[in-house]
Amino acid sequence: MIRTEEMLLNVGPQHPSTHGVFRLVVKVDGEIIKEATPVIGYLHRGTEKLAEDLQYTQIIPYTDRMDYLSAMTNNYVICHAVETLMDLEVPERAEYLRIIAMELGRIASHLVWYGTYLMDIGTTSPFLYAFREREMIINLLNELCGARLTFNYMRIGGVKWDAPEGWIDKVREFIPYMREQLDGYHEFVTGNEIFLNRVKGVGQYTQEEAIQYSLSGANLRCTGIAYDLRKAEPYSIYHRFEFDIPVGETGDAWARYQCRMAEMAESLKILEQAVEQFPEDGKIMGKVPRIIKPPKGEVYVRIESPRGEIGCYIASEGKKTPYRLKFRRPSFYNLQILPKLLEGENMANLIAILGGVDIVLGEVDG
Amino acid sequence: MTEEQDHQSNQNQEKDTVDPKAKDNIEEAKEQPADNPLNEESPEKITTPSDQQSSTKKERSTDTKSEPSPTEQSQTEKSKSDKPKSEHTKRPRKKHTKKDQPPEKKEPSPNQPILDHYVKIINKNLSKDAIDDAFVNRSSKELPTIVATPKYYFSIAKLLRDHEELQFHFLSDIHGIDYESHMEIYAYLYSMSRNQSVALKVKLDRENPAISSLAPLWKGASWPENEAYDLLGISFENHPDLKRILLGEDWEGYPLRKDYEPYDVEV
Amino acid sequence: MKGLAKGLAYTIRNMSKENVSYSYPDEPMPMPDRFRGIQKFYPEKCIVCNQCVNICPTDCIQLTGKKHPDPNRKGKIIETYDINFEICILCDLCTEVCPTEAIVMTNNFELADYSRDEHFKDLRWLDENDTHIREEN
Repeated sequence: MIRTEEMLLNVGPQHPSTHGVFRLVVKVDGEIIKEATPVIGYLHRGTEKLAEDLQYTQIIPYTDRMDYLSAMTNNYVICHAVETLMDLEVPERAEYLRIIAMELGRIASHLVWYGTYLMDIGTTSPFLYAFREREMIINLLNELCGARLTFNYMRIGGVKWDAPEGWIDKVREFIPYMREQLDGYHEFVTGNEIFLNRVKGVGQYTQEEAIQYSLSGANLRCTGIAYDLRKAEPYSIYHRFEFDIPVGETGDAWARYQCRMAEMAESLKILEQAVEQFPEDGKIMGKVPRIIKPPKGEVYVRIESPRGEIGCYIASEGKKTPYRLKFRRPSFYNLQILPKLLEGENMANLIAILGGVDIVLGEVDG
Repeated sequence: MTEEQDHQSNQNQEKDTVDPKAKDNIEEAKEQPADNPLNEESPEKITTPSDQQSSTKKERSTDTKSEPSPTEQSQTEKSKSDKPKSEHTKRPRKKHTKKDQPPEKKEPSPNQPILDHYVKIINKNLSKDAIDDAFVNRSSKELPTIVATPKYYFSIAKLLRDHEELQFHFLSDIHGIDYESHMEIYAYLYSMSRNQSVALKVKLDRENPAISSLAPLWKGASWPENEAYDLLGISFENHPDLKRILLGEDWEGYPLRKDYEPYDVEV
Repeated sequence: MKGLAKGLAYTIRNMSKENVSYSYPDEPMPMPDRFRGIQKFYPEKCIVCNQCVNICPTDCIQLTGKKHPDPNRKGKIIETYDINFEICILCDLCTEVCPTEAIVMTNNFELADYSRDEHFKDLRWLDENDTHIREEN
């Protein structure tokens, strides 16, 4: 019998597997984790405080920097909040452009997750394949809005740019290519016995626990709850598209993997319909007052980001700047369950569990 | 550059306005794009007709208090559309802020019966004084909003979660707001089984903001409440682990308070 | 072991595919026309309306103007124009509000330097930054 004793182990803040600056103080007994305490705040930039001195248009570039892997959804949530408060109408063409951009962003974000997650648990080549496809999406978005990650594409009442010549066709061509690649990924990783051993039954929780911890996105759906805001509270024009909500059953890292992979296929379905229905012409900017001053009042909207439910609360005093702006950041909420998942687990599972939750530290710290 | 010129340009920046002379220059140089969305700080004089049209729309939606009769409403709407644009824009502001209302605002909200039902359940199960105020937030997608009294805040939240006709199992968001006169907690609850949402608010004393924590009901409320404690200084009773989660224990002051003065040793 | 073998077959199939990586520092990386790079500034077009200063979310633009030297002309002309690229986030809002397109984006994005002071670009530098200017504005 080997004698073990408790020790404190510091994971991070600069650990590569934390995908940012995240520190985890782990109390281990031998190989078993007794207690894990997340320490966050290393990337806190005070977006909400800064926003109190900024006009609404000026806040949009700041939202790009929260969840920097899917900045389109962040752009959308603030625009949607202001549009709801001001009762503005967005032209159809702008809505389609927004949806195409958001769904491309969702696939890109999941691709990063897929690549880095597999790299975390010990296989490097999926990362290369995933980033090959992600680069194509980034290039498409770069052509559309002139930036690779910090898009600053949406404006209150519409979007900044119309689709460039031939861009929609490029998206149309990308869809079957990506489908083929997705099949390849499944062939490559999904059946791999080593991978299955690493993820099956790891970081498991039940439906009740997921709701208790306010989890959302794939972290909630992996337990079997078909809850997706694109269906539950359709925003924008999502009601026009047919797609399914992929759900898991087991609530472990394996179910989360399956959910995210299936979500990419669903996003491709939405993209396919969106480029098919894309209006021939039309305005990309609605009738918006020159100076954006939402009326006095408060609004809370939420949409489905790749990481879960992202919400935006605005309290307006009828001025050009918000009185209080608050983002409900899905990564921040999802990370709360980590100490519970890690308790009693093997040290080697730490990364498999943390990666499975899919956090972006820019969003956790706000 | 002479002193006078320097002075003038400095003044420009301080006032955040455009030089009246420069304005002429703008019009000479380039027509403003008709639907420029940006809220830049330029004098209203250089707005184009389409801009002015949309700005009247804004004013209409601003006013929510006066409620004209339906006939009055349709008349103003009609006469407005008949008039040419130039005349319309010349009208003094006061006149149309009073009468021009989006027609849908007059009808009671479709969610009003739902809210009344919630209020009834709460009053029946807890107390008549449990609710401070209840209204439907029209601008936030017709959201039923309940303002609880601090004493009953926790029990209302518990009732909203557990009552079989309410079933708000999912806590979407909880955060604090500093309204200089008081503090406020805003919690957004969602019921997956009924696909309904409700906002639960509570007003707190600003000098000594304290309220019972929702973390015993939803474990997911733990970190957001820590965030409110960290950034606004609201303390939560019965919170399992209250700490300054983002800024660290040695930070001075609460940044999201309106009277916060940044304090930095190095500056 | 079947899954492992299938995965290996996928890898082998990908080996024959074309190389997709960029050889960036050796070869310049072309960016699409809309790419938001370092701004180009046209002093002669500027009317000192201050809109770019007001819209900048990070307050990185500073400018001063002076009276037009020709007494018959109204308005002002630009005297100094500085952008601090330590804090500029290349968000495109300054070019969007500019009524005369005196400030436009270029496709140049290389800003690395040995000193922080180098990131402080003045009117002359911004004027001379005249390659790969964005066509669509």
